[in-house]
Amino acid sequence: MSAVGTVRAGDVMTPLSRLVTQAQIDAYADASGDHNPIHVDEEFARSVGLPGTIAHGLLELGILTDAVARWAGGSDRVASIGCRFSKPLLAGDTITCTGTVVEVDEERGVAALSLEAVSDRGDRVLTHGRAEIRLDRSRS
Amino acid sequence: MPDASHVGRVYRAPGMVIEAERARAFAGAIAGADPVVEPDAVPPTFAAVYCLFPTLGRLFGDREVGIDLAGLIHGEQQFSFHEPVRPGDVVDSQARIASVQERRGMTFVEIDLEATRDDRPVCSGRALLVVRASGSR
Repeated sequence: MSAVGTVRAGDVMTPLSRLVTQAQIDAYADASGDHNPIHVDEEFARSVGLPGTIAHGLLELGILTDAVARWAGGSDRVASIGCRFSKPLLAGDTITCTGTVVEVDEERGVAALSLEAVSDRGDRVLTHGRAEIRLDRSRS
Repeated sequence: MPDASHVGRVYRAPGMVIEAERARAFAGAIAGADPVVEPDAVPPTFAAVYCLFPTLGRLFGDREVGIDLAGLIHGEQQFSFHEPVRPGDVVDSQARIASVQERRGMTFVEIDLEATRDDRPVCSGRALLVVRASGSR
């Protein structure tokens, strides 16, 4: 779907926006096994000073990884990914993931992307994002 | 509270089975209302399930290190994917305390992660945990 074969520094990743509902957070809690009440219990979340329940950081990283995989043409192209969980994403917020190619290393067959994600309330929820994608499907 | 004397401690979670149904549910939870693009693939960040959580669970159970879960924040996460993981695979996971630093009244614990299949690495990574003393909120 993407022109990974001709990727160049400065190329912009197709952004991905996704509404993150409480139902989705609940589903992630069940699938991941992380039932920390700050994610699933609104009353508890408020009792610890949050405005409401928040998404798991790893759910946000999962969405960021999905954004990279869709743009790169498959999850097996994602060689590495990481980020800082800078601000909480609240249930009902929409997350928008963006990225830019910062370096293409032909020798290693990878391109490095700088990534971040913002919420629709303007918070930079994921920062210091970085991924490497494989430029060639054949791996040694 | 964790301190520098805990660096090097290793927590193992051997024999983690990649369950197809759970990987599908995990992919669906990430996709939300969007369709899952690769329904048969195990999402890369499923490493949270087969590597991060089971090993961290053992770390949290280490009373000598004594991480206070009430004051715990997952600060950063990085994964490197060396080989795709498929349903039915059995992987051995481990976490190692790489560093412990105290800054601004908080304790920063870096954890190195590794998962192998037949002794070949499938995933490695690093987690940064931030621990605040209880009641300092």
